[in-house]
Amino acid sequence: MKRILALFDRMRAFVIRDFQLAVSYRLAFFLRVLTILIVVTIAYYVSRIFMGSAELFANWRDPLAAWITGLAVLNYFMTNFSSLANAIRSEQLQGTLESVLMTPISVPGLIVASSALDFLQATLFSLLYLVFGAVFFGVTYQGSYLLAFLILILTTMVFASLGILSASFAMVFKKADPVAILLGTGTAVFSGVFFPPQLLPATMQKISKILPATYGLTAIRGVLIDNHGLHETRGPIITLFIFLAVLLPLSLWIFSRAVRRAKREGSLIQY
Amino acid sequence: MPVAIAIRNLSKAYPGRFELRTLLRRPPRQPPVRALDDVSFDVNEGEIFGLIGPNGAGKTTLTKIVATLVQPTTGTVTVKGFDSVGESAALRKLIGLAAAEERSFYWRLTLEQNLMFFARLYSIPKRKAEARIAESLAQLDLEQSSRKRFGELSTGNKQRMAIARALLNNPPILLLDEPTRSLDPLAAARMRSFIGSLASGDPPVTILLTSHNLNEIEELCQRIAIISHGRIRELGTPDRIRTLHKARERVRLVLEGISLERAVNVLAPALADVEVVKDGPRTLVTFSREVGDDRLDRGLRAILANGTRVVSCDTERASLLEVLEAYEREEKLRNNREA
Repeated sequence: MKRILALFDRMRAFVIRDFQLAVSYRLAFFLRVLTILIVVTIAYYVSRIFMGSAELFANWRDPLAAWITGLAVLNYFMTNFSSLANAIRSEQLQGTLESVLMTPISVPGLIVASSALDFLQATLFSLLYLVFGAVFFGVTYQGSYLLAFLILILTTMVFASLGILSASFAMVFKKADPVAILLGTGTAVFSGVFFPPQLLPATMQKISKILPATYGLTAIRGVLIDNHGLHETRGPIITLFIFLAVLLPLSLWIFSRAVRRAKREGSLIQY
Repeated sequence: MPVAIAIRNLSKAYPGRFELRTLLRRPPRQPPVRALDDVSFDVNEGEIFGLIGPNGAGKTTLTKIVATLVQPTTGTVTVKGFDSVGESAALRKLIGLAAAEERSFYWRLTLEQNLMFFARLYSIPKRKAEARIAESLAQLDLEQSSRKRFGELSTGNKQRMAIARALLNNPPILLLDEPTRSLDPLAAARMRSFIGSLASGDPPVTILLTSHNLNEIEELCQRIAIISHGRIRELGTPDRIRTLHKARERVRLVLEGISLERAVNVLAPALADVEVVKDGPRTLVTFSREVGDDRLDRGLRAILANGTRVVSCDTERASLLEVLEAYEREEKLRNNREA
């Protein structure tokens, strides 16, 4: 309990620090909000072309709703994945890692705490996609928001496991993880963010089946667009649990090995 | 005196770099780089202990191992009984590190914001942290700049901030890496006095100081260790170390009531290789001698026998720099012989 409270204390420290840093770049925040509004607007007008012609595909009856939920969820997953992966790297590049590690914070604690504001921002920006769609373009969401949120958390945990794997890679090799790049582009192209994966050639559809985002997106869209309940979404949810059961222990094990190796080699504070 | 930092048989070898082009060779890695080799010493509580040596000697690696940032290959470091590997979190609460690295702060945050962030990581309650930050900034003459962004500070003030941060949680042990490197002479003198006051305060702060400024080391440290190529070459008080490697010293006599020519004539039978110059009404005599030989004795006898007054007699001792140079020369000779 004491350790959890200490972790929350440290998360608070990082959130305040990152907020103070973000405030020193105020324009960037407003540009990001504006970008989301522009993207949603473009999605609305492009969706008019396809209105009524995408009904063959599950979740794509309203292409605008499918796109903005896809973009919101993709933004959430990828921000959370990359913020975990980059936590150590960005402190290394800034030169502050050594001084932060001199305090009684552990390496896993540092990674979680320094990603906290990114998680909060990702939540805000993802909500903005949905809110702009609803307020300006009349998109309606149905189903249980709580169920959609729980699926979002489940998928986020799978992505967090991948983020921890990527952080381990960056810690040892001091380079961007090639798996991260593949996962990022793979998720955007194959998991159904922009178009139904069923449109892909049969061989490429297999790629979409190994991406956790495909299941997360299908389930969340099912709930928010098609009013699906737990029964209809159990397939993707079980698949996500299997991903989590394999990836979380594996990533934590690899991460602990990477930390030990980096400390032994003295490479943790180098970049 | 109780031991604050105990270092035992410490060795550190960094693994050689792995290169793809050497993959087909056996082994594919380059050989390990030995940064520390069987280093052992203690730092006593309240002591200022200096670590000197050329670049790449192993000073930084040693400091980082004590700070738990790097793990040793073999050997142990304990700080007040806490092991640097097994009890690193508890050990870090006892240590403040002030490195000479300017980039270790957030440049767009103010001094207060920077220090408050680190105070939160130490779980210092807000009120106590505010008081501590104000006190640290005042101690280091930074209170006027507390709301300035760190990036706006001069290099010297950035260096002071590193010390302010190291003092945040009132650690009983400080690791200082070149604390006066970027300070002007006056500020450097004030900093040295401040460091001295920490060690003599109540409770005293134990300080492990690395520096290239040998005068600073001599002024501040009770004991020093000379480190070269990862090994401790010498350990002791600055006075003892200076005398170890200097067999010769320079003697300077100031005389009154004797002309230049007369001084040369009087000294010539007693001493060879003497330099005599006139400085107004006085005559300056300088010569070198083996430490402890009878040249000074013979010279003084000759001068006094002439009825001349000796105003002063100084000996110029070897500097730590000369000691360091001597070790480097020895190392080079050994390497050449081995090659």
